[in-house]
Amino acid sequence: MADPAGVLPGTLDLLILKAVSLGRLHGYGVLLRIGQISGGALEIQQGALYPALYRLEHQGLIASEWGVSENNRRAKYYRLTAAGWRRLGEEAASWQRLVDAIARSLAATPQEV
Amino acid sequence: MLAGFRARVRSLWDGIRRRAAVEQDMDDEFRLHLDLRAADLVRSGLEPAEAARRARLEFGNRDHYKDEGRASRGLRRFDDLTASWLDVKLGARMLAKYPGLTLVGGLGLAVAIGLGAVTFDVAAALFSRLPLDEGDRVVAVENWDVRWNEQDRQILHDFVAWRDQLTSVRDLGAFRTIGRNLVYHGRVAEPVSVAEMTASGFTVARVPPLLGRPLVEDDEREGAPPVVVIGYDEWQARFGADPAVVGREVRLGGTAHTVVGVMPEGFAFPVNHRWWVPLRADPTDYARREGPSLFVFGRLATGATLESAQAELTAFGERAAAAFPDTHQRLRPRVVPYRLQFFDDMEGWALRVFQLVMVLLLVVVSANVAILVYARTATRQTEIAVRTALGASRRRIVGQLFVEGLVLSGASAAAGLLAVRLVYTRADAVMSMFGRAPFWIDFGVSAGTVAYASALALLGAVLVGVIPAVQATGRRVQAGLARLGAGSTLRFGRTWTALVVTQVAFSVVALPGAIAFGGMFLRHGLAQPGFAAGEFLTARLVMDRQTPPTAEVERYDRALQARYVTLQAELLRRLESEPGVSAAIMLEGVPGVEPTVRMEVEGTPADAESPDAAPVVGTRRISPDHFDVFDVPLLAGRRFHSADMGLAASVRLRDGDGDGIAEVSTGDLSGASTTVIVSQSFVEQVLGGGPALGRRVRAVRERTGEPGPWYEIVGIVSDFPPNRMEPDWIQAKVFYPMAQGEIFERLAVRVRGPAPGAFAGRLREIAAALDPSLRLTSISTLDRVLREEQLAMRLGALAIGLVMLSVLLLSAAGIYALMSFTVARRRREIGVRSALGADPRRILGSILSRALGQLAIGVVAGTGVATLLDLATKGAFTGGQAAVLLPAVAAFMVIVGLVATLGPARRGLRIPPTEALRDDA
Repeated sequence: MADPAGVLPGTLDLLILKAVSLGRLHGYGVLLRIGQISGGALEIQQGALYPALYRLEHQGLIASEWGVSENNRRAKYYRLTAAGWRRLGEEAASWQRLVDAIARSLAATPQEV
Repeated sequence: MLAGFRARVRSLWDGIRRRAAVEQDMDDEFRLHLDLRAADLVRSGLEPAEAARRARLEFGNRDHYKDEGRASRGLRRFDDLTASWLDVKLGARMLAKYPGLTLVGGLGLAVAIGLGAVTFDVAAALFSRLPLDEGDRVVAVENWDVRWNEQDRQILHDFVAWRDQLTSVRDLGAFRTIGRNLVYHGRVAEPVSVAEMTASGFTVARVPPLLGRPLVEDDEREGAPPVVVIGYDEWQARFGADPAVVGREVRLGGTAHTVVGVMPEGFAFPVNHRWWVPLRADPTDYARREGPSLFVFGRLATGATLESAQAELTAFGERAAAAFPDTHQRLRPRVVPYRLQFFDDMEGWALRVFQLVMVLLLVVVSANVAILVYARTATRQTEIAVRTALGASRRRIVGQLFVEGLVLSGASAAAGLLAVRLVYTRADAVMSMFGRAPFWIDFGVSAGTVAYASALALLGAVLVGVIPAVQATGRRVQAGLARLGAGSTLRFGRTWTALVVTQVAFSVVALPGAIAFGGMFLRHGLAQPGFAAGEFLTARLVMDRQTPPTAEVERYDRALQARYVTLQAELLRRLESEPGVSAAIMLEGVPGVEPTVRMEVEGTPADAESPDAAPVVGTRRISPDHFDVFDVPLLAGRRFHSADMGLAASVRLRDGDGDGIAEVSTGDLSGASTTVIVSQSFVEQVLGGGPALGRRVRAVRERTGEPGPWYEIVGIVSDFPPNRMEPDWIQAKVFYPMAQGEIFERLAVRVRGPAPGAFAGRLREIAAALDPSLRLTSISTLDRVLREEQLAMRLGALAIGLVMLSVLLLSAAGIYALMSFTVARRRREIGVRSALGADPRRILGSILSRALGQLAIGVVAGTGVATLLDLATKGAFTGGQAAVLLPAVAAFMVIVGLVATLGPARRGLRIPPTEALRDDA
């Protein structure tokens, strides 16, 4: 397997929203979920996850509540808010458009020019 | 959108409110992350210790992410704020560490902020809402005379017409203030100020009485029994809050009134009144623009505005002008917010401009203090550089310097407000001499004042703290770190330098005049009258006068005058027969404050072309015993005797405030006297010390524009009063004998014994026993009357002194700042030169050269400007003492400047030679 790629700037928020949309998670859970859904292809600077979480919470896209973790410790769980769902939809669509555009661009041949 | 905003506010609020808890939460969260990660790593086969290490490594710098986390919550700004508390403490420490700057800058800022607060209070007091129900709909209606640009208040006819016809102003009423002696169950008569008001005044005010009833329209009828409504304070003070006061009888002047009501506490409509009697004025008694002087008020009708009411009045005024062109052509009726009628044409903007000027003053003072702070900042550059290196942002450092400025300006604002409060309590005592303030004016340091002063302090702090800080933390600062200790890299720019030079020049220009005038004020402010003024009790004597119907004015006044003359003579006779009184006399006015006129002497070549070149002398009409009563020595000739007195011919009674006669103005004195007595100074100044007796003098121009009749000098007296207590007193005086039938308003009683003030009660008794319509107001000793003006002059001298002190201090501070800069900048060079064994005197010279250069430019420029001003004003600018004052001030300024350079110069010389070596290491 190739070395995991770093996350593109600006895409961390999108990944967190997606991860959290799949179910309630604590911070480490978010990290694992992203690893899982990306097939281990994306690597996140672990500490950087938290400022991003706080930023999203500050923006009202995710909400948090305190619960108990699998090892019986106090843990903060994040879930997607209604605003978060909306934003995830928009961001995913816009990302898809970007990917399509880039793919098209890369697939271009001399004859098409 | 809204939800997002709510979430932001909540998370920020949480962050602020539960600062410690949020911190703890982050810690918990991070630790859980690390533990879970480590556990995963152990599961994949690592040793626990190694796993924990790896987990920490993968996570990265926890503190860094925590910090970022706080930033994501928008808490960074808040952090800056809380860190500022440290700055406040630091700022307070700076105040103590630099006492010179604190004192000079603080004094300047306190004065500027205090003055600003006063203007705010004045504006607030004058433009506050009328404290009545719907007070902003209470209006005044007045007739504006466009020729004289003033209110015409003899408007009884118009008032009645307005009341009957206007639809946009309701409950139209009128009032005037009259003075009357209050007499009740045998107490000594005391003059009170009474509102003669239509009953509608109580309707407009919408305040019900506390007891009894207000005035009603029926009371205004001709022949209705006289009634009075009294105010709460009077009820408390004079009637012991007796609830049975309603129905009691009190006499106001010659008339008995029944008390019908008591108004509640604080009620003083229309202005500051506590006694109300009905206004009875029948327009048929008076010609147009004759009769009592009135103020007219009312309430805007429902739906009406000031504009619509004005439109109606304008139309009304046009009709009146067409119908009565003789009287109404130049009258423009207008409606204004109620309280504005008492300030005539003083518009709000004038006050606003004044307020702005005060803010500018603050800016100027702050700019000066900023120079000082800038200089101090230069000496702290190392500290700033180190802090920058340790990661403080520029904003953070500017913030710190701003807070330091805020501590200074805040302390100054507090001191300024405290001083203002002190002044107000003093001012209250002074104001009460002139009567009570209008009921809508509540003067004092209010919450609004504090807020305004705080805003000024903030402005001051921005100027004092931020501007020098922004300059001092410019790009060059970073270089400062590399050269730690080598000297300041800040520059004392051209603007700052120009400011210092201007300031020095300004001091030199302003000081001579200030010394001359301040000294003069002080001299006169401390002068003694030079005669036994303390033995005299003096008062204004006024006699009640009804406003007679136009047709009867002449007859009424002639009779009143005759009676008044008799009463005055009788009063003086009775007073002189009192055992405690040695003399009683009527005066035209307080001695020393005489009207002036230009006089010419017969036989001296009069300059017909310019009568204005004739000497100005004071004139006074006196009774024959005047000089005896005041012990004024006769130097030559004789005194007046009764044969010198002419006869007062045509008279016109002067209506004090529309309520009484104070004095008769004498018109044409046919068969009047032909003799005068002159003062010693007159002989010296006007006659050049030559012979005086038998020579004749006359006024160059009477009011008619023609020269007056000739008078023969029959006597010379020594100057009276002997000392000048005000700069504009003129000692060259001409005394005329008063005419028979002439009435003066000022009574002076020479009392035996140590306390003439104690005679005041007896004086009132004697006057009231003679006739209750004789009123005595402002009873005081002559000494106090003369000294009233002195207080103003002493305050003037003090104000000039303080302003000059600030100007001087700020100039000195500017030079000091300049020097400090030079020393700070050239620290290393000085060190090198000392190390090379340079002569300390030469080093000193080179440090001083720039500051002394600026000082010299300022002094020379200032002296030049002052000389020019002095020449242009023909010596008035320096009080004629330019030859002494200008060089003295220039020398003084140089000395002040040199003293200001001492501190930094000494600091410069103490720079050790090792300084140079250390930097090069």
